[in-house]
Amino acid sequence: MLVGISLETKQINSIKPIECAEEMSGYLRIVASDRCKLSFSKIFSYFAPRLRSYALKQMGNEALAMELVQDTMSNVWQKSHLFNSEKGSPSTWIFTIARNLRFDMLRKQRNRKEDVCSDDLWPILCEQTPDANEVSLDHQVTMDEIGVLLDTLPEKQKLVIEAIYIDGKSQQEVADEFDIPLGTVKSRTRLALQRLKEMLKDDD
Amino acid sequence: MISFHPKYTDLQAFSAGNCNTAMALMISAHLDMCQQCHHDCIDIQSELAADLFSLSTPTAPLDSQYLAMMSNITDLPVAKSIVNEAINTSIELDGKYFELPRVLRRHVKNTGNWSRLLGKVWQAPVELGDIGKANFIYMEKGGRVPEHTHRGSEMTLVVDGQYNDGIAEYDCGDFTIMNNQHKHLPHSEADDGCLVFTIVDQPLHFTAGIARLLNPFSHLFFK
Ligand SMILES: [Zn+2]
Repeated sequence: MLVGISLETKQINSIKPIECAEEMSGYLRIVASDRCKLSFSKIFSYFAPRLRSYALKQMGNEALAMELVQDTMSNVWQKSHLFNSEKGSPSTWIFTIARNLRFDMLRKQRNRKEDVCSDDLWPILCEQTPDANEVSLDHQVTMDEIGVLLDTLPEKQKLVIEAIYIDGKSQQEVADEFDIPLGTVKSRTRLALQRLKEMLKDDD
Repeated sequence: MISFHPKYTDLQAFSAGNCNTAMALMISAHLDMCQQCHHDCIDIQSELAADLFSLSTPTAPLDSQYLAMMSNITDLPVAKSIVNEAINTSIELDGKYFELPRVLRRHVKNTGNWSRLLGKVWQAPVELGDIGKANFIYMEKGGRVPEHTHRGSEMTLVVDGQYNDGIAEYDCGDFTIMNNQHKHLPHSEADDGCLVFTIVDQPLHFTAGIARLLNPFSHLFFK
């Protein structure tokens, strides 16, 4: 087992970065679809030792370093289905996971209690964004009610509100998509929200 | 149009996860509005990742510690998909709603009530613990803050509208850092006024005219 894995590592070492990214993306796909331990072992053999060097530098001690390696690789195993190779390479994905976990570990160590979390500050790259349609039932009911209200908005305001609240886009993304200035997105959102609020008041 | 961006070195520190949390919060909010810096950060992150996971990094063969780790990991279940929690994405002042960049939305619930600072300038404090003293500041059309400098530094992000501080004109998305070398006098002439998010590490220092009288009380401002 030991020898087998070290051989795999050597084989991977002899190939080019692009091929390596493709190969690793392939393994990630198999992990996602089949929970394949062999494919995971290939990913693990490549990334875990390299992560350890990073983690040692960042955390300054062996135990914490190995904790960071373990947490990062656990995320890879548990979230492989979220990895999207069209958005970037496995290296970038795994790096952003490790960086975020490191931030949270350091804050926890210093006993910081503020309400900040790394995934808010640094959205993980190369992941599929959660499907906005996956909402709980309670939420769904409200969404239906809101749908009725949205239909009463002027078309332009409605499109902007839907893109932001239902599709979860940022205002800049909406501006790009509709080819309108950011300021216009902001004023349409503002007007629409004002109007919705008034309608909700009338309901009471 | 955004004309004021974080420095490239700050984008690098941010991407590496090495800048302080206040700066990270500001840059993250800026990225939500600025495609250019957003793309720069994506590039920086993939360079950092390529360096870190370079093929040429020498690695020892996996020992038993790694193998035990690997088998622990593969015993774990698949992560459940996260359902987006419904959070307030805007703040309100006087019936006006201001949509916030994603990273600031989490802090709406920690934002205090609006209070009038001076004339047409309003402030709502944001509880960020030891990250820094944060506030939303809203300048109505014609609203101005007396000329001041900063003992420490003040980071400002324009969330909505435009303002001018006698040094330059700032539009939404613009990010600036002011320190004690800068004297400025922010005011807004935009029809919808201007909403900014600021984090300061020291009280302001008022420099001009009668406003100097405010210095003893400056801890009350933007605290
Ligand atoms: Zn920018």
